[in-house]
Amino acid sequence: MDEVLYWKALNLALDAEMEADESVFVLGEDVGLYGGSYRVTEGLYAKYGEWRVRDTPISEGSFTGLGVGAALVGMRPVVEIMTINFSLLALDAIVNMAAKVPFMSGGQFPMPLVVRMPGGVAKQLAAQHSQRLEQMYMNVPGLRVAVPSTPQDAWWQLRQAIRSDEPIVLLEHELLYFSKGPLDVEAKAPPMHRAQVRRDGEDLTLVTYSRMVDLSLRAAERLAEEGISVEVVDLRSLRPIDWESCARSIAKTHHLLVVEEDSRFAGAGAEIAAELAERCFFELDAPPRRHGGEELPIPYNGTLESRCIPSVSSIAGAARALLGGKQPGETP
Amino acid sequence: MSLKPITMPILSDTMSTGKVVSWTKQPGDAVRKGEVIAEVESDKAVMEVEAFEDGYLAGPLVEPGREVAVGETIGYLSDRPQQQTEKASPARTRASAAGGAAAHAESKSPEETPPPAASAAEALAEKMPALSPVTHARHGQRERVKASPYARQLAHALGVDLGRVTPTDDGVIQAAQVVAAALRPPFPDLEAGPPYRLEPLSAMQEAVADNMSATVHTPVFRVSSRLSMDPLLAQAHEQKLSATLLLARACAQTVTEHPRFNAAYTPEGLAQRERVDVGIAVDLAGGLVTPVLRDMAGRPLAELAEDWRILKEKVFRRRLAREDYTGATFYLSNLGMFPAVDRFDALLPLGAAAILAVGAAREGKAELTLSCDHRVVYGADAARFLESLSERLADPQQLLW
Repeated sequence: MDEVLYWKALNLALDAEMEADESVFVLGEDVGLYGGSYRVTEGLYAKYGEWRVRDTPISEGSFTGLGVGAALVGMRPVVEIMTINFSLLALDAIVNMAAKVPFMSGGQFPMPLVVRMPGGVAKQLAAQHSQRLEQMYMNVPGLRVAVPSTPQDAWWQLRQAIRSDEPIVLLEHELLYFSKGPLDVEAKAPPMHRAQVRRDGEDLTLVTYSRMVDLSLRAAERLAEEGISVEVVDLRSLRPIDWESCARSIAKTHHLLVVEEDSRFAGAGAEIAAELAERCFFELDAPPRRHGGEELPIPYNGTLESRCIPSVSSIAGAARALLGGKQPGETP
Repeated sequence: MSLKPITMPILSDTMSTGKVVSWTKQPGDAVRKGEVIAEVESDKAVMEVEAFEDGYLAGPLVEPGREVAVGETIGYLSDRPQQQTEKASPARTRASAAGGAAAHAESKSPEETPPPAASAAEALAEKMPALSPVTHARHGQRERVKASPYARQLAHALGVDLGRVTPTDDGVIQAAQVVAAALRPPFPDLEAGPPYRLEPLSAMQEAVADNMSATVHTPVFRVSSRLSMDPLLAQAHEQKLSATLLLARACAQTVTEHPRFNAAYTPEGLAQRERVDVGIAVDLAGGLVTPVLRDMAGRPLAELAEDWRILKEKVFRRRLAREDYTGATFYLSNLGMFPAVDRFDALLPLGAAAILAVGAAREGKAELTLSCDHRVVYGADAARFLESLSERLADPQQLLW
């Protein structure tokens, strides 16, 4: 099986879908001549031309709205927003239009729209470019939110999103674009929202998504040396969430730790922990815990920045604390 | 001024809690590194705790007789002769000793957060495992126990009364504690009978109880024999040796002749040991120990007699170490010194194939009962063993090298 970079897997997925269906087209800032800020549309302009790979002005509200309109009349647009931070300007199109029109039209208008955007904390991009706003989109009924963490999932989930008639936000991560992983283009995709157990374990269920999957797996490795067996569940989708897979794991381990890069307060982890506490109350042998980022706009300073979000060692510490019954922050 | 905690030491690899028997120094006393400051009781032995550096013993000291988890603070060493810090707030200690879970919870509530100066004492008071769940169950104070949902579900499924489960140090019951409680022997229904008070088990009583309970899964059969004891008793008298020692020697030689009796059953196979180590039951005020004589068949009798003397001395002074009382391959229990005893059965400890129980001699003969693990040896093996033993007892000369 080939090892490819995450951005390349997305690029291959776009290419495959554009080739298969003429109604698929991409639009966004610098997606054409430049090939995309993270190379995701590289080569597509040359192959499919300016009608299907459309460079737009710096105006997220209007070009995302254009995508909504195109979807209404039967096209399958893939909108690229340069970062999730800029999608704040496109919220009306996504939240008020894309998510609502299929319902308000009694199903007369499907909404085969994909909005791709990277989010998360990268390397010193400062507060305005280091946000994790996934919880905002999670709270919008009518939307789907997918969070691929591997090149294989990027390939599968982008193609599934393009073929779906529902509006889908595909949240990528700036630090994942240049991560490598196996890609089997022939393999059959699991349902888009299906969670994946990335590592089997007995003592603790660690539910996470996106870039935190990799950090959590490394933390699990470290904990295994101490005799703590951690099961890592990659959600892959934040709306809907595959609760059954999580609950199955908790029924085995009786302990739940949610790891998110986002700040804890009213973050994605709050929903995950609350729902799983409701579903798995009688299975839990300790209070569920969330391990997330600090309640701060992310600082520019690199040292401060790295202290604001979970790391391999802080994740391992949170797991130990949960199993040891001690408060986080105490040295175990 | 710096205060360094003195913690409950780990004195054997099975020790999880210990008790301070006595403090040999008082708070404020100057102590030198290596000087004995306390005596601590572990599973079976009493051992001394030494000061780890020069300084002054400082309170609060844990009360003698109270069970403390290993690693917990039992007192402090100070670099200055400090006035004794407030004694582990007596009122509170009494309250929690009275067994109220409420009192315990109170001492943890944030409003009650003690001023920093008293925190060492408070922390200690809080950690005192004073309230035994048994106690408050009996007083009928059914406070809501802090248990995880999963622990509650397990308790329900296993029929475990949460009131009788010992919580973690944090006062919470989790699945592990419920499972441990489920595996503990059942608690007798005492409420129907006369009023009673509970005497806590000593470490030794607890160890004996655990060891004996562990034997219930061993399928045991017994074979008895009346054998002539006169020659052996005469020889013991003549050599000024203990009759028990000579008996143990006779057993060990017989085991060498029938090596199956030196095996131990394990689920993976029979552990055939290379040496006969005989554990001898010794009566002791408030308990029972089985000091072990090593290589009982392969060493000169004089050497064994000296070892036996040292072991008995250690038993008497309660200084028996773990390696002194574990690992026997054969056991002997002699009640021959009680003339009223005809015969008895002994329980077979784990790790041995047989134990020999010896009654008092009557008209030159004593009744011996061999209890055997039927997974290791069979009836005819036991018969042959007793035949060989009988020959040795008739001619004790061969025991005497």
